[in-house]
Amino acid sequence: MNLNPMEQFAVKPILGLDKPLFEIAGHPIYFTNQALLMVIVAVVSSLFLTLAVKPNRLVPTRGQSMAEMSYEFVAGMIHSATGEDGLKFFPFVFTLFIFVLCSNFFGMVPGSFTVTSQIAVTFALASLVILMVIVVGFMKHGIGFLKLFVPHAPWYLLILLIPIEVISFLTRPISLSVRLFANMLAGHTMLAVFGGFVVALGSAGGLLSALSIAPMLLIVAIMLLELLVAFLQAYVFAILTCIYLNEALHLHDYH
Amino acid sequence: MTAPDPDRLNDLGKRLDELQTRQAAKTQRQAPSQSSIAFRFATELMAALIVGGGLGWGIDWLFGHFGFHTRPAFMILFFVLGAAAGIRNVMRAAHEINAEIAKGRTSDNGNGKETGS
Repeated sequence: MNLNPMEQFAVKPILGLDKPLFEIAGHPIYFTNQALLMVIVAVVSSLFLTLAVKPNRLVPTRGQSMAEMSYEFVAGMIHSATGEDGLKFFPFVFTLFIFVLCSNFFGMVPGSFTVTSQIAVTFALASLVILMVIVVGFMKHGIGFLKLFVPHAPWYLLILLIPIEVISFLTRPISLSVRLFANMLAGHTMLAVFGGFVVALGSAGGLLSALSIAPMLLIVAIMLLELLVAFLQAYVFAILTCIYLNEALHLHDYH
Repeated sequence: MTAPDPDRLNDLGKRLDELQTRQAAKTQRQAPSQSSIAFRFATELMAALIVGGGLGWGIDWLFGHFGFHTRPAFMILFFVLGAAAGIRNVMRAAHEINAEIAKGRTSDNGNGKETGS
């Protein structure tokens, strides 16, 4: 019996597709469990959000009101963080939020795979956000966007402060991706460790077997906590995207 | 169809109002938990050190490529700058968290939907 709690994060080819699908510059590309889960998340979330609002009733069905609530939730979040002109980025932030949220929730299904527990995925998402911020900033302010890195200070301090501000800006994709990745990784590892306790105690025999109910109950509690974390981390990812976009749109708010 | 009883409607309205105020109080914006604040600060500091050190290492590598042997100098310099940037990040994060808490206090029965954490 393999009780390695990190085994659940292994990326491996599935569906008997042991041969690479194709090659890019000599690197074989496989269809892995991670790719499958990403496809499922993308397909299910877009199908749900489009089909649920299809009936378009005045008194919404359960599905329709869920879709409308998520729409209003994200719209309210963007509006409060960036103001009126931030709403242009609604499709971008909404897609990110729904993708991260659905990945987190699909990862909670026992036996599935958590896409957001891979640093490659979260870092790709965070890089996308930062690239978006840089492009938006330069498009809106031109070269004046670089004023973001120049705080109000005497010139002799600027020699020191500008590199600090640049490094501080460059840390954003890292802190954004590490936060999501570490939270999901820690939660799922904890679940697997307590799952291991249940198996180990249960197979010990005698009185110890009866004790295995204790970690089992704990798993239920942790599971609930993890559902909260899954939502919270998606929320944090989206709200930080809004905050960064806000800084690119209105330079003066950076301090 | 008979007209609805006004008393019963009023009663229903009152009960709905009560429920709404109770729900709004429950979903008020709370301060983020201590451990999440600590985790946030830790990642901000660590990320700044990694970026600073990495940048310095890259600059050294670039100079080495052109024949200037500066090897540890820029890495040390940028590591220190990265530490400073990390402190700056933590200050900024603390500022954001304070603003969030202050916002939660002023909007007593504000829109509960926007309050995630």
